[in-house]
Amino acid sequence: MRIETTRFGKVEVPEEKVITMPHGLLGFPDKRRFCIFQQKQGSPFVWYQCLDDPGLAFVMTDPWLFKPDYQLDLELAIQAMGWDGDGDQVPLECYVIITIPRGAPERMTANLMGPVVLNPNTREAVQVVLSDEAYSLKYPLLKQKAASCRPPFSAKNRI
Amino acid sequence: MLVLTRKSDEKITIGDDIIVSVLEIKGSQVRLGIEAPKGIAVHRSEIYERIQEENLLAANVVAADFVKAERLWKPRKGHQDKAGGDSED
Repeated sequence: MRIETTRFGKVEVPEEKVITMPHGLLGFPDKRRFCIFQQKQGSPFVWYQCLDDPGLAFVMTDPWLFKPDYQLDLELAIQAMGWDGDGDQVPLECYVIITIPRGAPERMTANLMGPVVLNPNTREAVQVVLSDEAYSLKYPLLKQKAASCRPPFSAKNRI
Repeated sequence: MLVLTRKSDEKITIGDDIIVSVLEIKGSQVRLGIEAPKGIAVHRSEIYERIQEENLLAANVVAADFVKAERLWKPRKGHQDKAGGDSED
């Protein structure tokens, strides 16, 4: 199928690459069809382009690239989706959504609380809510430099 | 909104297959047990709302910021160390 996108123009998406989210993403319940693609080879990011809305696309990455001890209960996804088998039998893929603040990409963060779990067999995905609060909603991908925390006015302007 | 008063160990049935039990009341805290069929998502509302808000923020990526972000962050595959850290053997 050929789809129109705001960022990437017309994109050809093979039928077998279409990902369905029966529950949508939180905040976007009526956006159900997506596809994953990498804009540049070797990039740590992938785009999660919505096929139902040309302007809607998210940036995602592999959480284990920056948080090797990241753990999530795949049973949550399996139950929510009614997938067969347990976590060992279904080779599920997990992504986290990246927020890149406008004009301040150095402050980009990963949402470790609401990972997207994909079942490659059924091409279905679900956003899992990890409610134990062990993980951050805004996990910084880059260490903040001290210089970026300078006070708003220099000392000589103070009384 | 339907308002019901319940005591500890009492339950509420919603539809045919959702049961909410009051397990314990301690001061201003109430422990609830929720039995619901597979496919019914049950979340603490504030966490659900925070993830919703974060998704809305994440949906507004500007192409130029993405290009810069890609230049800024280069994790090395196979060297899955801490963010910004040096690789180990």
